[in-house]
Amino acid sequence: MIKFNNIFKKFPGDSSVLENINFEINSGELVFVTGSSGAGKSTLIKLISVIEKPTSGEIIFENQKLSELNSIDMPYLRRRFGMIFQDHKLLFDRNCFDNVSLPLLIDDTSSVDMNRRVRAALNKVGLLDKEKMMPVTLSGGEQQRLAIARAIVSRPSILIADEPTGNLDKKYADEIMNIFYSFQQVGVTVIISSHEAPSSPIKYKELHLANKVLANKDVPLLS
Amino acid sequence: MFHYFHNHFQALIRAFIRIRYNLIPSSIMIAIIGITLCLPATGYLIIKNAAQLSSKIEYEAQISIFLDKSISKDQIEFIDSTLKQSKHIQAVYFEPKLKAWEKLQTKLKLNSLDAGISENPLPDAFFVTLNSLEGNTIEDLNQDIQTLEGVHEVIIDSGWIKKLRTILYLVEFILIILGSLLGIVLTVIISNTIRLQTLTYQNEIQVSRLIGATNSFIQRPFIYTGLFYGLGGSIINAGILFAITDIFNRIAYKFENILGGLFLLHNLSIKEYLFFTIISMSIGLLASYYSVSQHLNKLEKNI
Repeated sequence: MIKFNNIFKKFPGDSSVLENINFEINSGELVFVTGSSGAGKSTLIKLISVIEKPTSGEIIFENQKLSELNSIDMPYLRRRFGMIFQDHKLLFDRNCFDNVSLPLLIDDTSSVDMNRRVRAALNKVGLLDKEKMMPVTLSGGEQQRLAIARAIVSRPSILIADEPTGNLDKKYADEIMNIFYSFQQVGVTVIISSHEAPSSPIKYKELHLANKVLANKDVPLLS
Repeated sequence: MFHYFHNHFQALIRAFIRIRYNLIPSSIMIAIIGITLCLPATGYLIIKNAAQLSSKIEYEAQISIFLDKSISKDQIEFIDSTLKQSKHIQAVYFEPKLKAWEKLQTKLKLNSLDAGISENPLPDAFFVTLNSLEGNTIEDLNQDIQTLEGVHEVIIDSGWIKKLRTILYLVEFILIILGSLLGIVLTVIISNTIRLQTLTYQNEIQVSRLIGATNSFIQRPFIYTGLFYGLGGSIINAGILFAITDIFNRIAYKFENILGGLFLLHNLSIKEYLFFTIISMSIGLLASYYSVSQHLNKLEKNI
């Protein structure tokens, strides 16, 4: 589904962040991108979600070379990902319902369908009773769940989350992770960046970043 | 096709919401556009009315040919036929001295005895209406008429109209330059306002891009906002022009007796208002498109 071939990433005026990254993610997998702070997890997540472009190497998404995609096609590709950002990127000038409906607005969904799908997404993350509330009134865990609702509302085939539990206590973090597991179980590919792999007895693939390279690049760990 | 119109309708609604959300700054912006637009529009209104007035007078412009007192009837007939043959002359009117004297007496309410005048002091005269205001043509005609036997004096009374028309032409030229400069000013003002709006909605733009919004999707509400600004400005402009013509005409009625006539300011036609509306909305569209495109280009480089 997603294949990285000899990917290098270097930012202008900076030393390289990622070097010779090679891996493949198959459809329906649960993948953890792990590593210490500054290891390049967020950069790797951005490369997967086409927010950043590699300095060299080739990313292949469903047999399509991303370097061959032009800027007009890029937004349509991004719509296939459900993105959950490290800082949530919620819009604080509009209520929960309007935040979640944004991807559907972009995708030009009819208002009847939009209402139904937004409420279903809010219900999935347990925020249906807070649809009229502004994000600023929500707790950190609720804001994260709202971000998840926005990511899943357009029914993406891939969910990508950048440190979704980074600032949450264990109770909230477990709640959030359970939501991701439930999506993976219904066939959605879930890619999560995190400091460490989960301790839960679930099946997953780990991409561990250390010193700019993938430490376990040959054989993905499965537990 | 339905999706295309639905997209635009959604963008229109978002533009409305943004204007309502920023009601005071938006109202100030619309007022600025209206007042700026009003300056060349008022100039145009004045020029148009002055041009109408000059063309009305032009119709009445004529050469007065006063004949010798001792001129014979044959000579008068010869001059009459000569004048009528000229292609630059639209109409020839002969006024015998007797008739002129009677008209003068009626106008001044006197008779020759009261005035102590023993004989008619007025000469026979031709009043010629021209179909050209070309300086050279009039001068040639003047010289030709003066060579005719029996002609005493020729008075050309169209010189000041030429001056007026030249002044109007110059003012029109200045207005075009002023209008163009104000158009640039409007473009800068609108584009700067839209730029500020893109900064206000930076988070929304950034998030929208990250989750798959196209540039057109992001641009549309800003472009509609620019169009609304242009439309609002042209409505303010129309309101000001209506007020100017109304106030002017009320004053003109008051001073009708003093001025000896009524000069009313005619408002612009619907077509002309439409022209100003299209200009104003086009400036709004171009300025907002330019501004939001610049912003998106910067974001494109950053991603």
